[in-house]
Amino acid sequence: MLEIEDLVTTYGAVRALDELSMWTRDANLTAVLGANGAGKTTLLRTISGLQTPVSGRVRFDGVDITGLPADRIVRMGLAHVPENGGVITELTVEENLRLGGLWRRDKAARAAKLREVYDLFPPLAQRERAQASTLSGGERQMLAIGRALMSDPQMLLLDEPSLGLAPAITVRIMRILRDLRDRDGLTVLLVEQNARSALSVADRGYVLALGRVVAVEEADDLLADDRLRHAYLGF
Amino acid sequence: MAADTVIAPAPPAPVTSRAGLSPLARHLLLAVLALAAIVLLSMVVDPFTNVRLATVGYYLLAVAGLTVLTGLTGQVSLGHGAFMFVGAYTVALLVVYVPALPFWVDLLLAAVASGLAGALTGAAAARLTGPYLAGATLALAVGLPSVTQRFPDFLGGSNGLGFTVNSMPAGLAGTVPSTRWQAWVVWAVVLAALVLLANLTRGRVGRRLRAVRDDEVSAALAGIHVGRMKVFAFLVSAVCAGLAGGLQAFLLGTAAPGSFTPALSLSLLAAMVLGGVGSLWGALWGALALVFLQAGSEELTHALALGTDVSNNLPLAIYGLVLIGVVLAFPQGIHGIGRTLRTRLRPRRTPARTSADDEGEA
Amino acid sequence: MDKLLTLTLGGLTSGAVYAALGLSLVIIFRATRVVNFAQPALALISAYVAFSVNKATGGYWLGFAAALLTGALLGALTERLIMRRLADRGHLAPVIVTLGLLMVLQAVAGMIWSAEPRSFPYAFDFRGTFSPAAGFAVAVVLVVAAGVLVLFKATPLGLRMRAAAFRPDVAGLLGVRVGLMLTIGWTLAAAVGALAGLLAVPPFIYPTALDSVFVHALAAAVIGGLDNPVGTIAGGFALGVGLSFVSGYVGPELVTMAALAILVAVLVVRPHGLFGHAVARRV
Repeated sequence: MLEIEDLVTTYGAVRALDELSMWTRDANLTAVLGANGAGKTTLLRTISGLQTPVSGRVRFDGVDITGLPADRIVRMGLAHVPENGGVITELTVEENLRLGGLWRRDKAARAAKLREVYDLFPPLAQRERAQASTLSGGERQMLAIGRALMSDPQMLLLDEPSLGLAPAITVRIMRILRDLRDRDGLTVLLVEQNARSALSVADRGYVLALGRVVAVEEADDLLADDRLRHAYLGF
Repeated sequence: MAADTVIAPAPPAPVTSRAGLSPLARHLLLAVLALAAIVLLSMVVDPFTNVRLATVGYYLLAVAGLTVLTGLTGQVSLGHGAFMFVGAYTVALLVVYVPALPFWVDLLLAAVASGLAGALTGAAAARLTGPYLAGATLALAVGLPSVTQRFPDFLGGSNGLGFTVNSMPAGLAGTVPSTRWQAWVVWAVVLAALVLLANLTRGRVGRRLRAVRDDEVSAALAGIHVGRMKVFAFLVSAVCAGLAGGLQAFLLGTAAPGSFTPALSLSLLAAMVLGGVGSLWGALWGALALVFLQAGSEELTHALALGTDVSNNLPLAIYGLVLIGVVLAFPQGIHGIGRTLRTRLRPRRTPARTSADDEGEA
Repeated sequence: MDKLLTLTLGGLTSGAVYAALGLSLVIIFRATRVVNFAQPALALISAYVAFSVNKATGGYWLGFAAALLTGALLGALTERLIMRRLADRGHLAPVIVTLGLLMVLQAVAGMIWSAEPRSFPYAFDFRGTFSPAAGFAVAVVLVVAAGVLVLFKATPLGLRMRAAAFRPDVAGLLGVRVGLMLTIGWTLAAAVGALAGLLAVPPFIYPTALDSVFVHALAAAVIGGLDNPVGTIAGGFALGVGLSFVSGYVGPELVTMAALAILVAVLVVRPHGLFGHAVARRV
C-alpha cells in the first residue's frame, strides 16, 4: 500500500530522515519503533505532506504522492493522526469529528460514518456537544482517531497514540487499532516509543535510529530478538 | 512562535575602539567633523538648498528617535508625528506668548513637553504589544492634531500659529543669510542629540533595552525593570521627535495641524524601515530619502506634465511601496544591504556577534 | 432630554459603521492574527468606485454592488499577492506591510480622484432625528453581522475557516485547503469593510475620509476583543454612542482622543479587550 524509497528530509543541516526506505502490506499493522529523535515523527509528517522531502519517493497505492500538499493526500485515503492527536480544543467534539469528513461530497455517507465512529467510541457520543478542551487524554486520542476515520481512509498513520495515557487506556486504543485492521481491513502505520504495546498488535515492525532503518522483522521475531530489544527498544 | 526575523534590526557596527578613543570621544569627533562639513556645504549652496539641508537634519533626528525605539525595544510607533506636533507647538507657543525667552530655552522646553507626552504614551505602551500598540499610537497621530480646533484662539485652529524667530546673534546679522544660519542651528542641535543617543544605545542602557526586546522574562529575572525601560525608551524617542518638531517650527516659522498628519507618522516609519531598523546611519539614509523623494517626485511629475494630484501623492505611494518592498525583499533595509555586502566581501574578523544583535523580537 | 436622544440615535448610526469596519478587522485577525491596517484604504477605494459608478450611471445601488465587489476583489488580491508571503514572519512585518498598502492605496485614490472632497450620496433620505438612511445603516450592519456569525458557527465553510485559523497544520491533515480559507476570509472581510465604507463616507468622500473612522473601528474591535465578533459589534455600538456624547457635550474635535483614552483604559484593565480570549496562538 505504502512504498517509501530513499527518503531524505532535513531541518537545516540536520538529516532527520537519511535515505529511509520502507513498505507496508495491505490490511496490516506496521509498527515504527525507535528512540526520541530517531525520525519517526518526521517520517509521518513527510508521508502526509506536512514536510517536504529533499529527495526520495513516497508512493501510496501505486501513486507518487511525494511533495503533494497535506489536504490532497488525505483526500486520496491516507489519514494522519498527529502527535498528541491534534484535537482542535476550541471546537466541540462533534465539530472536530465532522471536520474530518467534510471534504467528502456524499452527505449521507458522512452521517453514517459519524454514527459508526460514535458506536466505536461511546464516550465521544456522550459528549458530542462538549468543548474538546474538556476531554481527558484518552478521550482526546479517541477523538483524534475517530476524526481521522471520518474521511473513510484506506490507511491510517498514527503518531504515538499512547503518549501520556494510562496503561489501561493504551491497551484499549491498541485493541481498537487491531479491530480496525481485522474487521475493516484498514492498513495502519503506527509510530510508537512504547514498543511493547505496539508489538502486541503489530504484524511487522521497523526499528529506526538517526533517520535510518536499523531493523525490519515480523513483530514476533522482533519481540524474540533480545539483542535488538535491549539496544533499541529499551525493554 | 518563531523570533521575528522579518524586520531584524541591522547589526550595529562592531565596537572596535580605534586609536584608543572612547566611544563618547569618537562620537563627539564625528559630530564635530559632520558639523564642519555641513557648515562648508551650507556656504556653497543656495538658500533653497539650505532649507532642504536643514529639513534633512530634523527628519534625521525624528527617524533616529523612532529607530532607537523599534530597534532597541521592538516597540513600533505609528504616532511619532504627534510628538513632532507637541514639539512644534511648544516652540510656537513660547515664541508667540513668551517672546522674551531665548530660542534655546524654547527648544529645551519643547524637549521636556514631548518627553512628557512620550512618557505618558510609554506608560500606556508598556502594557500594550504588537497590533494594540500600533493601533493606540495611530489613534494618537489621527486624534492629536484636531485638538488645535478645540482652542482656535490659543492654538490658531486649522491655520496654526505663524511667527518669526530672531535667533541670530547681532554680530552675524547681515553677513550670514538666515537660511544658512538656520541650517547651522538645526544641525548643531541634531548632532548634539545624536551624540547623546549614540552613547545611550551603546552603553549599559542600550544593553538593558535590548535584553528587554529579546526576552522580557529573562530581562526581568536579571533585575531589569522591564516596564520602566519601555517607558524610558518611549521618552527618549519622543524627545527626539519633539526636538525635530521644534526645529521644524523654527525653520518654517509656523506650526499647523496640517503638517502633522498620520501620513507624516507613516512616512517616518517608512524612512526608518528603509534605512534599516535600529541603525542610526540608516536614519540618515531614511531622512535623505524623505526629503529627496518629495523633491524628486515634484520634478518628475513636472517633467512628465502630470497633474498636481499625481505629484502630491507620489511620495506617499513610493513610501508605501518601499515599506512593502523592503519587508518582502530586504528585511534589513538599505543599511542592512550595505552591511551584508560588506561582510560578504570582507573576510570575517569578528566571527561572533552578540546574541542581542541577532534577532529582533518585535 | 431631546439632545440625549438625538445623540444616542446618532451614536448608534456611527456605531454601526464602527461595528462593521471592526468586524472586517476581526474576521482577518481571527484567521491570521494580523490587524489589517490597510482596511480603511480597501474600503476607501471601494467607496470611490461606487462614487464613479454612481456618477456614470446615476444609480445608487449599482455603485453599491460595484463597491462590494471591488472590496472583495481587493481583499482576495491582498491576501494572494502580499500577505501569503509573510506567513510565519513575526507580527511586526504584517503591520508594516499593511501600513505600506494603506499609504499606496490612499495615494492612488488621491491621484485618481484628487484630494478634493466629492459629494457622496446616502442610500436613503438622511434628514430627521433617526432618518431612513440611519435606520438602513443600523439594520444592514446587524444583518451582515448575524450573517457572518451564522457562517462561522453553523456552516461547513465556517467550520473549515475556524479550523484553518485555530490549527492550520491539523486542518490541512483533515483535507481543509488552508490557503483557500485565508483567501475567502480576506475576501469576506474586505467586502464587509467596503460596506462600512459606503455607510461611513457620506456626505463627502476624500482620501483621508476613513482615517478617524478606522481608528474608532479599531478601538471598538480592541475593546470587544479582537478575536470576538459579537464583542466587536457590541463594542462598535457602545463606542459610537459614547463618542457621540463626547462630540455633543464636549466637542467633536476631541472624539478621536476620547476613543484613544477609552481604548487605553480598557486595555490597561483587560489586555485582550472586554470579551477577548487570552489564548496564546500555537503555530
